[in-house]
Amino acid sequence: MNYIDLIRQSEDLVTAGMSACQGCGAELCLRRVLQVAGRNTILSIPPGCMAGAGVVGWNFDNGLKIPVHIPLLDNTASFLSGVTNMYQRKNRPDVNIIAFAGDGATADCGFQSLSGAAERGEKLLYICYDNEGYMNTGFQRSSTSSKGSRTSTTPVGKVQDGKSQNQKYMPLIMAMHNVEYVATASPSNMKDMVDKVTKGIQASKKGFAYIHIFSPCPTGWGHETDQTIEVARKAVKSNFFPLFEVEQGKWKLLDNKNPIPVSDLLNLLRKFSHLSPDDIAQIQELVDKRMDLLRKLSAA
Amino acid sequence: MNTNQNRIVAISGNKSAAMGAALSRPDLIAAYPITPQSSVVESLAQMIAQGDLNSTMIQVESEHSAMSVVQGAAVAGGRTFTATSAQGLALMYEPYFRMSTLRLPMVMAIATREMTSPETVWSGQQDAVSVRDAGWIQVYVENNQEILDMIIQGYKIAEHPDVLLPVNVCYDGFYLSHLTERVEIPHQPAVDDFLGVYHADHVSLDPDTPMAVDPLTSGEILWRYRKGHLDAMQKALQVIEQTDDAFEQVFGRRYGGVIDTYKMDDADFVIVTMGATTGTAREAVDVARSLGMKIGLLKVRFLRPFPDKKIREILSGKQGFVVIDKNVCFGWNTGVLYMEIKAAISELGHPISSMPAIGGLGGADISVDQLVTCIQVLVKQGSQQPGQLDTYWFQ
Amino acid sequence: MSKKFITPVGDEGIYTLDTGSWRTFKPVMLKEKCTNCGLCMIFCPVGSITGDENKIYEIGYQYCKGCGICARECPTKAIIMVRESIE
Ligand SMILES: Cc1ncc(C[n+]2csc(CCOP(=O)(O)OP(=O)(O)O)c2C)c(N)n1
Ligand code: SF4
Ligand code: SF4
Ligand code: SF4
Ligand SMILES: [Mg+2]
Repeated sequence: MNYIDLIRQSEDLVTAGMSACQGCGAELCLRRVLQVAGRNTILSIPPGCMAGAGVVGWNFDNGLKIPVHIPLLDNTASFLSGVTNMYQRKNRPDVNIIAFAGDGATADCGFQSLSGAAERGEKLLYICYDNEGYMNTGFQRSSTSSKGSRTSTTPVGKVQDGKSQNQKYMPLIMAMHNVEYVATASPSNMKDMVDKVTKGIQASKKGFAYIHIFSPCPTGWGHETDQTIEVARKAVKSNFFPLFEVEQGKWKLLDNKNPIPVSDLLNLLRKFSHLSPDDIAQIQELVDKRMDLLRKLSAA
Repeated sequence: MNTNQNRIVAISGNKSAAMGAALSRPDLIAAYPITPQSSVVESLAQMIAQGDLNSTMIQVESEHSAMSVVQGAAVAGGRTFTATSAQGLALMYEPYFRMSTLRLPMVMAIATREMTSPETVWSGQQDAVSVRDAGWIQVYVENNQEILDMIIQGYKIAEHPDVLLPVNVCYDGFYLSHLTERVEIPHQPAVDDFLGVYHADHVSLDPDTPMAVDPLTSGEILWRYRKGHLDAMQKALQVIEQTDDAFEQVFGRRYGGVIDTYKMDDADFVIVTMGATTGTAREAVDVARSLGMKIGLLKVRFLRPFPDKKIREILSGKQGFVVIDKNVCFGWNTGVLYMEIKAAISELGHPISSMPAIGGLGGADISVDQLVTCIQVLVKQGSQQPGQLDTYWFQ
Repeated sequence: MSKKFITPVGDEGIYTLDTGSWRTFKPVMLKEKCTNCGLCMIFCPVGSITGDENKIYEIGYQYCKGCGICARECPTKAIIMVRESIE
């Protein structure tokens, strides 16, 4: 089915009104992901913007129409390992076991438990929505915040210019776990995202699947609320966020032969407004280098 | 082999814990190796590999994940087991606290060990007593038979609808974990019958009954969960006694419920123990009595819930007591059990002398002779003055 | 759930916030320009745009936060953002 028809016909399983900011990329992705997954799903959403926005509910109410739990910031993958193993024991492998976790819960606090679950090949789909920072606690840096990012813990001052370190590149780290399926996705390329989530769910019946989603955050990154898709699109088109998938070791990279300059993206975001032309050139170099590496890996 | 016959074997405490767990037939086991617990999981892995145990075993990368994995399995309706010690327990604190506050019954064995620093791997109770306020039921046992029996009883208590709390079965690292003793292995069908099938009807993550597990909860409501948890702890005091009775009927062994006593009837002074020191203390009581001291033994089995009423009853009318703590209570110049008992006897109604005693830290031995000397100090000083005596250190 | 105040669970209803009241600008669809492509529905973070079996798309205002994504992403500029009137 055409992805637009699929979304049109699929029930939105998220509460109609949740407190994510206007134009939140994560809210968009959560709704689309669950439309693909359907009701026969158990979801874990660790502390972060989505849980904070009420998706795990309030007092006696649920924020979703499906079973959901808020695990700890640092145990989403191991918590779900227990859930999925019980469902295999109950002979109910049809139930989709999915994590929807922020970059902090994924790349920092929860990194060890994620790596452990991936190595064990647990039958679940782990989705990271990467808004490049701890947004729920006020946009502090995370290990996936891009170099140069202004965050509340990497401020721009007289002697410091935002985050000085490079970003930890999770998708490749996960690919190196040799799991069933790894992919990156962007809400700008929704057909691609829908396809990947579908594949990820299928792969999770056989082993561990991981999808890393680029999740623009108007509030933290400093862009207009209507620019969310444009930001995501420019991230893809500039190779700032390359789209690829690794299916049982087989690579598929969406290669932009004529990428737009990263400055086209960076200029949209106030978190980068302090960058000098030199800084931007440095980021361009990082982006080009990573793309070269991905090309080599996907050609191998 | 006649399968209706209980088997009698000579096994270590860790093996006994593993067999107790196996007899309880958990759906899922997750654990991470640490001295002195490691051989518990090794034994279970062996049983699964041999096809003798049909549990799912998850070889996690840490204790934090061990507790998280069993938490996931428990929310999905499973009976679960894990085991740990010291640093492992410290690492799992975050999901550990959550296990009890999510009211998920399970049993975790703790081969108790001193906490680092100084760097140590040996016995002590500092690990387990340090988490006494994390909402779990904690039982401290005396010998290898009691380890096995209390793991089975632990599930019965934990899964009781009035309780629904996780249980720690704490046994002294090395002193029990690595000691070989005679243990009677109950007959599997009898255990199956005793425990029944666990069915969680208070929580579940299941697409057939969609619910949010742990929604954000406001303070106006949260206190009710805490109160319910405290109430469940108090109800557990009865459930523990009932379970001990029921266990005796089927298996022929009883432990006295929340506490046990030895030669208490005519005693003027009491030695209070928790864990494996109890065995040594029984002998010390005999020796002290042969020397003319009217001493009895109080074995505190459950630290949580704390059997304050029972303890008051036992100590009522006595002249004094000493509490042997294999741990310290930072901030008080005593051990933890001493402070708990002190709180329990605040309504005793008559003066009593009491002596905190600390020993057995980091694997140090406490001998019969040392206990007898300690009892002598108690009787001598306690006969002269009521109130708290100086802390006695086993050196 | 019959057993209340044991494990905290939310199973009585769906927690829903009145996010429609956040709006300062409101998306208005100009039907004559609309080609029924469905992209506005695809990109609406709130799920406020729905389509029927004839692929006719409609904006629901109850929860629309007024982010403007639909207007910006519409290929034919068939959605415009109009300031909410203060009543
Ligand atoms: C162990 C622990 N440390 C810190 C926190 C506080 N905390 C809650 S959410 C959060 C940030 C999460 O960031 P991320 O996973 O990227 O999600 P986002 O808020 O960006 O959506 C932090 C640090 C916590 N809940 N648990
Ligand atoms: S801070 Fe960013 S990620 Fe969080 S809800 Fe707002 S827009 Fe979404
Ligand atoms: S995006 Fe524009 S053209 Fe397409 S359905 Fe929506 S309003 Fe119509
Ligand atoms: S303005 Fe935003 S929330 Fe409202 S319909 Fe358009 S995309 Fe959806
Ligand atoms: Mg984040």
